[in-house]
Amino acid sequence: MICLGIESTAHTFSCAIIEKRGKNGKILSDVRKIYRPPEGEGIHPREASRHHAEHSPQVLSECLEKADVKITDLDLVSYAAGPGLGPCLRIGAVVARSLSSYYGVPVYPVNHALGHIELGKMLTGAKDPLVLLVSGGHTMILAFLGKRWRVFGETLDITLGQLLDQIGRHAGFASPCGNKIEELASKSSNYEPLPYVVKGNDVSFSGLLSATKRIIPKGLEIACFSLQETAFSMIGEAVERALSFTGKKEFLVVGGVAANKRLSEILQSICDRHDCKFFVSPKEYSGDCGSQISWVGLLEASKKAGSKLEDTFVRQSWRLDTVEISY
Amino acid sequence: MLKLIKKGAEADIYLTTWNNKKTILKIRKRKEYRNKILDNRIRTLRTIREATIISDVKTFGVNTPIVYFVDQNKSEIYMQFVSGKLVKDLPEKMITKICKKIGRMVGILHKNGVMHGDLTTSNFILASDKLVMLDFGLAQRTEKTEDHAIDLRLFKEVLNSAHVGIVNQAWSSFLQGYGAVVGNSTKDRVVLHVQVIEKRGRYANVV
Repeated sequence: MICLGIESTAHTFSCAIIEKRGKNGKILSDVRKIYRPPEGEGIHPREASRHHAEHSPQVLSECLEKADVKITDLDLVSYAAGPGLGPCLRIGAVVARSLSSYYGVPVYPVNHALGHIELGKMLTGAKDPLVLLVSGGHTMILAFLGKRWRVFGETLDITLGQLLDQIGRHAGFASPCGNKIEELASKSSNYEPLPYVVKGNDVSFSGLLSATKRIIPKGLEIACFSLQETAFSMIGEAVERALSFTGKKEFLVVGGVAANKRLSEILQSICDRHDCKFFVSPKEYSGDCGSQISWVGLLEASKKAGSKLEDTFVRQSWRLDTVEISY
Repeated sequence: MLKLIKKGAEADIYLTTWNNKKTILKIRKRKEYRNKILDNRIRTLRTIREATIISDVKTFGVNTPIVYFVDQNKSEIYMQFVSGKLVKDLPEKMITKICKKIGRMVGILHKNGVMHGDLTTSNFILASDKLVMLDFGLAQRTEKTEDHAIDLRLFKEVLNSAHVGIVNQAWSSFLQGYGAVVGNSTKDRVVLHVQVIEKRGRYANVV
């Protein structure tokens, strides 16, 4: 089975083709075009969707070319139907619907967050992990139970990605700012006290955001270092709590912030303490990409037929724990 | 004698003796991954807080282990060993029933201005004749509806993730017990606030 996956939830427009044989998937191509807002600004949904619309034909044809696949070879098309920015989501959905109706290929709307997890599992070989999903849109700790991914802990306000981005933008960088913050943080080891808020298995970052802005005058490097240490320790503690509560023996971290080395280091040390196997999705595929959408499309196609065109909506708010999983 | 019985998230639990009595020793060990300043602050604060509140709530009539000794510098607490079963490991039918008792206990805490901060089914032990509440490391003195609602939300989240089969019965049984103590109008106010918190969640159904 060959599937074209289309991702357009936020700043990334991406098409990817995966071939599935039995239980194994092989990524034939994954082409991305990322919208970059001006420095100090975040994603403007209208501008991002314009970017996606302009680049979609080129990304699509490059993706087919790299995979050496013709449109008529496709067995199905999947697109990220949410959660994400409405105008951006609609671009991906339009491309998917057009291909589906013109070429008569079955179409599958897919949950973006589920894509991060399933692709992470496929690439790392994790079987039944506790999952930490950390990106611009999500900060959640999940485990699979009774046909659904259940939330064991999450952020009560902003996500880890937003926290880093907002500090970065405040300091004048362009989103996404994770890399820049990591780089600055590595240049300091002076810790300034910041609010540490863990509520049971949940975390809250809003107070930390305001407090970090306040200490920026003491030095951007100090602020970035203190921010990372505090925020990642909070996540670490929430993960430890969920690990000891669920007793899972595997742990997987996925999503854009999974690329951060300091975060990985902390999580690795936690896993060692709990005799738990540590998996992190490869850097190239931890951020938003078409592969995650393509792979879930293939998994769903193994159990159910494609959606009718009139049911191929986008859903800006679509919680992962409401998706029933049949495969 | 010192025997590790549980490697918890933030502390290790040992079985030991104190004045010839079977005793639990809770040690908040230094976490290598955590920045030292931050780590010391968290461990000291929580040790003191837990030891204080665990004793305070006894005066309201909530069953908790007796604290024998606290070593603030080493972040250690020696406390009474309670034999019994964790509520988390009981059969589902039992859990549903016990949720009413849990609700009542939480009600008593809230009525007296204390939030537990870590309400999970693994923080209650069913001893032979009574239910005992554990782990006050995240507890706080607070009268705020928001904080009380956070307690309820966490418990709901735990039922929703770890006890999927009985979530509805267990939750209503919890609320029954809770309402019986704090009164229905307070209960309704806190439950309404739980929804406010849930709506703040990412991608909650707001559209």
